[in-house]
Amino acid sequence: MTNETSGSVRESTVSIFPDEDIILKVRNLHTYFFTDIGIARALNGVNFDIPRGKVMGMVGESGCGKSVTALSILRMVTKPGKIVRGEITLYRQDRQNKSIIDEIDLTKLEAMGPEMRSLRGAEMSMIFQEPMTSLNPSYTIGDQIMEGIILHQKVDKVEAEKRAIAILDGVGMANPQLVVKRYPHELSGGMRQRAMISLALSCNPSILFADEPTTALDVTTEAQILDLMRGLQSRINMTIVFITHNLGVVAQMCDYVTVMYLGRVVEQATIDDIFYNPKHPYTSSLLRSIPHVGSSQKERLQPIRGVVPDPYSKINGCPFHPRCDQAIPGTCDVNVPGLTNVGVSHTVRCFLHSDAVEDSYA
Amino acid sequence: MLSEISHLNKDELLLEVKDLKKYFAIRRGTIKKTSGTVKAVDGVNLFVKKGETLGLVGESGCGKTTTGRTIIRLLEPTGGEILFNDPTQGWIDLAKMDRKQMFTVRSNMQIIFQDPFSSLDPRMTVERIISEPLVINKIAKGEELHDTITELMRTVGMRPEFRSRYPHAFSGGQRQRIGIARALALNPKLIICDEPVSALDVSIQAQVLNLLEDLQRDLNLTYIFVAHDLSVVEHISDRVAVMYVGRLVEVADTEALYYSPKHPYTEALMAAVPKPDPRKRDRPIKLPGEVASPANPPSGCYFHPRCRYAKDICSSEAPPLIEVEPLHYSACHFASELKLRGVMG
Repeated sequence: MTNETSGSVRESTVSIFPDEDIILKVRNLHTYFFTDIGIARALNGVNFDIPRGKVMGMVGESGCGKSVTALSILRMVTKPGKIVRGEITLYRQDRQNKSIIDEIDLTKLEAMGPEMRSLRGAEMSMIFQEPMTSLNPSYTIGDQIMEGIILHQKVDKVEAEKRAIAILDGVGMANPQLVVKRYPHELSGGMRQRAMISLALSCNPSILFADEPTTALDVTTEAQILDLMRGLQSRINMTIVFITHNLGVVAQMCDYVTVMYLGRVVEQATIDDIFYNPKHPYTSSLLRSIPHVGSSQKERLQPIRGVVPDPYSKINGCPFHPRCDQAIPGTCDVNVPGLTNVGVSHTVRCFLHSDAVEDSYA
Repeated sequence: MLSEISHLNKDELLLEVKDLKKYFAIRRGTIKKTSGTVKAVDGVNLFVKKGETLGLVGESGCGKTTTGRTIIRLLEPTGGEILFNDPTQGWIDLAKMDRKQMFTVRSNMQIIFQDPFSSLDPRMTVERIISEPLVINKIAKGEELHDTITELMRTVGMRPEFRSRYPHAFSGGQRQRIGIARALALNPKLIICDEPVSALDVSIQAQVLNLLEDLQRDLNLTYIFVAHDLSVVEHISDRVAVMYVGRLVEVADTEALYYSPKHPYTEALMAAVPKPDPRKRDRPIKLPGEVASPANPPSGCYFHPRCRYAKDICSSEAPPLIEVEPLHYSACHFASELKLRGVMG
């Protein structure tokens, strides 16, 4: 937890977007969980930018830090977890004339303080994976949507209910007047996820974090929800960070993709580059390991050997090198590669593409 | 009916299911009065060839898991025949067997469960988990048992030194390997794979799928592969059966089913699969409403309220599963007329 500067200085210059298009910048973010059995380094220096008005996918295997990244940005990491260092800068835009009105470093704010509470739910919001466990079972759908509206938009209950019904209608919920009076257990999985989306959208956030929003749903319901999110995104020009491990969903939904491995970003690129020109061995192995629907010939799947190491252990060098077929002995197992530009809107962290070394790995 | 399989040699088959039914009673109130029935499996006909993988797909609640479990009598069937081609006894009807008779044939059929966390007893070592079927069936003991377990662990790609560890010490993929070793212990002919990879990470999924394919080739196993992930099913299956609200709507060779489906529900499923290719983005077919409840299904064809091709006959008459092309079965009144698009659109 020392040596705060060296790696991060160079990395802050690596960005794949022009500054005016960025809504959120994450730099050198470290989130650790201090548990009884040791320190779990969930985020180990995460760097990426989120472009305004686009859908950015975050992919990686379980435990790579996708969800913790979103929770850190929203300042919802609770004990024993803690952001130990790094910056998260939100560039707030005026809703009318589109000029940037302020830059806020979210890590400097009190997690439960008034500033953060005024941003959470209003400026940034989140859809969780399991709608059954993330909705409160003892309040009606209407009450839960209205809570945010009353808090952030300062309207009375009657008006808030009107808005809640309008939002439910907007996400394609049948009979919204009845649904506001219902409890979560009375709805089906697809309807619950629509309610969850309504809840997240109730205050027109500029960034929406969607954490595996369709993983618990059936394929036809999933298709409906994805279609709905795509429609909403283009209609109100919302920025969406789409966290998922399903590469099919990523290909269908996203403009850009950030690939994470063991608490770090290993590659960030446009959707087309990720699928057709992946640079990091981890990205290409992920793509080779999934069955491609519609590929008539039955190719054997190529699994990534080994498993994701546990976050308590410390690995020297590139965290992927023990599973990497292209690892260079003497280099990959010694130094941590730095994030470097390898093309238009394409950064990668790998010694096959650059000699840049990161030395901030504490 | 599927049973009129004239062009198939009966000796090639391992299993034939005729009109299989599994109903669950809905009980309410303090005296548990029956207030309705859930027809989880409602007249399923299918056959499975020796050495093949039959994929069984459908959305949650369609009865695919219940079908799998009823076939090996983990659940008691309400009606129908489960004909099994036993290597020693020839064709037998599992549905008519009592406990004792079932004991003698059960070693030929095993199941691999979805959740590798809850399907292994946390208080048993790997060795005990894998040895249990061998001990119960009095197949091996002592030195021989020890060697068999070593062999089984090697077969599924685990190090035999780990035999005295408990399940919690293993990752999801490793645990699923333990479950597979347990299923293989008795040299079964048929294995029901009930969503064996859906709880696993993508890269681990590939390891387990490859293992299942290798084992099938080496041990001449027959799989019924129950899953909801259509890309996994396409990869592993020779033939695929699609279920909707307790009934089969289509059965065909994998390629025929994925590229030229003959049932509107299959078409909608195929359109809904998110393809892992950003250059092929397409819009799903809108299915209005929700999956019908098996406790209160609609009249006629269960799919008609959501079907964009539905006509009057669909709401009054349930279409039987018929052979529209050689070995391609569909339960749709208009199966031979409709031009449906497959997975590539």
